[in-house]
Amino acid sequence: MTDQANQSRRNFLYVAAGGLGAVAAGATVVPFIGSMLPAADTLAASKTEFNVSTVEAGQLVTIQWQGKPVFVLNRTAELLKQVDGHDDILKDAESKAIDEVQAEWMDTPEKRKFRSIKPEYLIVVASCTHLGCIPLFKPTPGRKDWGNSVPEDWYGGWHCPCHGSLYDLSARVAKGSPAPTNLHVMKYEYKSDTTVVIG
Amino acid sequence: MKTTNTLMAILAIAVMGFSTSAMASGGGAALKHAEIDVTNQEQLRRGLTVFVDVCMGCHSAKYMTYRGLMAYPELALTREEVDDLRGDKSLMSGMISDMSPEDATESYGKSPPDLSLIVPGRRGGADYIYSLMVGFEHDPDGKIPDGNYNPFYPGGRIAMPDPLSWLDHDAADTAELEQQAHDVSAFLAFIGDPHQNERRAIGCWVVGFLVLLTLVLWRLKVEVWKDVKH
Amino acid sequence: MIEKMMKTQLFAWVDRRTGAEAIIKSQLTEYPAPKNLNYMWNFGSLALLMLVLQIVTGIFLVMYYKPSAEATFGGFTVAFDSVERIMRDVNFGWLIRYMHAVGASMFFLVVYLHMGRGFYYGSFKEPRELLWIIGVVILLIMQGAAFFGYLLPWGQMSFWGATVITNLFGAIPVLGEYVTQILVGGFAIGDPTLNRFFSLHYLFPLLLVAIVGGHVHALHVVHSNNPEGIDLHKPEQMIPFHPYYTIKDAFGVAFFLTIYAYIVFFNPQFAGYFIEVDNYVPANNLSTPAHIAPVWYLTPWYTILRSFESKLIGVLAMGGSLAILFLLPFLCRSAVRSARYRPVYRIMVIMFFVDVIVLGYCGHSAPTPTLKIVGQLSTAYYFLFFAALPFLPKFEKTKPVPEGI
Repeated sequence: MTDQANQSRRNFLYVAAGGLGAVAAGATVVPFIGSMLPAADTLAASKTEFNVSTVEAGQLVTIQWQGKPVFVLNRTAELLKQVDGHDDILKDAESKAIDEVQAEWMDTPEKRKFRSIKPEYLIVVASCTHLGCIPLFKPTPGRKDWGNSVPEDWYGGWHCPCHGSLYDLSARVAKGSPAPTNLHVMKYEYKSDTTVVIG
Repeated sequence: MKTTNTLMAILAIAVMGFSTSAMASGGGAALKHAEIDVTNQEQLRRGLTVFVDVCMGCHSAKYMTYRGLMAYPELALTREEVDDLRGDKSLMSGMISDMSPEDATESYGKSPPDLSLIVPGRRGGADYIYSLMVGFEHDPDGKIPDGNYNPFYPGGRIAMPDPLSWLDHDAADTAELEQQAHDVSAFLAFIGDPHQNERRAIGCWVVGFLVLLTLVLWRLKVEVWKDVKH
Repeated sequence: MIEKMMKTQLFAWVDRRTGAEAIIKSQLTEYPAPKNLNYMWNFGSLALLMLVLQIVTGIFLVMYYKPSAEATFGGFTVAFDSVERIMRDVNFGWLIRYMHAVGASMFFLVVYLHMGRGFYYGSFKEPRELLWIIGVVILLIMQGAAFFGYLLPWGQMSFWGATVITNLFGAIPVLGEYVTQILVGGFAIGDPTLNRFFSLHYLFPLLLVAIVGGHVHALHVVHSNNPEGIDLHKPEQMIPFHPYYTIKDAFGVAFFLTIYAYIVFFNPQFAGYFIEVDNYVPANNLSTPAHIAPVWYLTPWYTILRSFESKLIGVLAMGGSLAILFLLPFLCRSAVRSARYRPVYRIMVIMFFVDVIVLGYCGHSAPTPTLKIVGQLSTAYYFLFFAALPFLPKFEKTKPVPEGI
């Protein structure tokens, strides 16, 4: 065999070995990085059942879902009225930035305003969309109860203590807040009249 | 080169010696062979039934969750079947017996071991489980009461009462009882390492790939080493 | 490929600031290695591979492992539960854990073969004494790391193995009790022990990395021995490490990984040698398993320990059997290195290998009167081997050593 044939065989073997070696290295990464994804039991625990009838009228409770805090607010007729009348100062009054999971039920302007399947029960992820702090609940309008932490024409809602983001009672974010979007509405459904399955 | 070969030979013999001696260890009577196939869904489900109806009277398998009964493709129960089995227990719960360890200790003198790891955790594995199930006899010396004598159990005296009612069973039932013992052994072998089938399947690819890589590198080594003049 | 990479501007930038080119040339592309090394010289790179694999798999296991002996339902503990969670619920957890458990045994196998190579070809002799001594330090740290790691799953073998070994230190006169308490952190193996063993099991591999660096550095100062055991100076006897030995090592690595993967995927318990049957039973401080023995890679030393009636002498003998490895370069006084040209040493060293395997077998088996005598004779030969070395040159007629290769 000529030297040239030898050389080309050698080059082929180099390329083959290098290619297979790269495949091996790539395949090795899969289980290691894969192991850092949520484990099977963690994934299975990703649904939470909650009985909304335990929340009294006007009351806010914070529950846990996937280790994250979730607000469940029972809005009275009065609180529902406070949602109106300030659309011009909201970043996304019509809740256009919604995920596919809510698209199936957030289909009317009414639903987009109240951002909940049943208007009275608002269920949202309680993490400020800015950097994840839990906003403080300040439902009454005006500065009477809250001092300078809220604007003078406060319409009731949440105020994030970390960087001052403001949300109304449908958890829609006000213009001028550092938070980019409304508080997230996660996937949930009513299993019975009062039991919701979150996740 | 000759010396290297000698060394290799010695090491090979040593390794073989090690692995055969492992087979020999373990005590009691020679075990009966359990006919199990941990890839056979039928058998595993039958084994699950025996486990739930018989074993779970006293024993738990806390690492085998109800969720796992659905999630592992080898079992793949439906949600409805699992709901029937679990009653009001959580899907995330292991298969825990209704008998508390304290009550069991009071009734049988010792707490029944958890069965999640019973197959890897006993010498003889599934064969041992099978042999115990169909090993209840009358003590030839008449010392150990019926139902407590089992020659496959170390020492012969077992606290567990004959679970399949093997002792003095009707000859017509032998085949069925043996099948139950095979099935439950298969189920316990499966839950001892529930990823074992996936592991073997992936292993074929990995080993096959590495054999190829080894061959290529071997040819490359031979090729490159042609430069070296001896 | 390396040549191409070294011509890039980026490399030139790095080189001006680190001297990378000089390092790569002196340590790799122009590092001279004897051209007659056989496959016994592959085990060094394999040991390095295993060290890396153990560290990587270990780091990922620690993400889920919980070092706590707190009791949970069914006689288990938090630690045992977390291992089973890795085996069942963590994605590929079973693979990573089996890789780590099998890896421990494979690491020792490779290191023992590496040491056997050194014994046979006289690699420990002048000028490589310090290289050998650093290697023995590595062995001791590995044994420590393995011992600490074996407690972590908190199975029966973990618990009783740790009990037996920590009690060994109780044999030390006067201080023994305190040494045991310092190791155990209480009066018996328990939660404090588990936590400190976990800490040390993480520390020791990091020590290994540093010391292995020293081992490789020392090697690159004195250079590799070779099967003939002669000093090589002529350029035609040497070849550059890269590409010849990098490719040969890569071939060795692929061959080795094939065997390793076969065990990991198809027989990870290896008939109870790599993961013992009793370690699937949760630790129970009120009941010792019927037969307890250390994992196979520690059994030769365990037999030496068991061969003496007096606990103190047994412990001293076991310590001595490891410590004497440090002295090997100074006990062996022959001018010839390789066993190829030392007929008497050759028989002695092969018998020594067999002896260590017999010691290992005795240590793994349940004690019987016959095995006890076999173990005692093997222990005697173990020490006799070292004791005879200084006197060997007086009557051993070595064969003429070749001038070159």
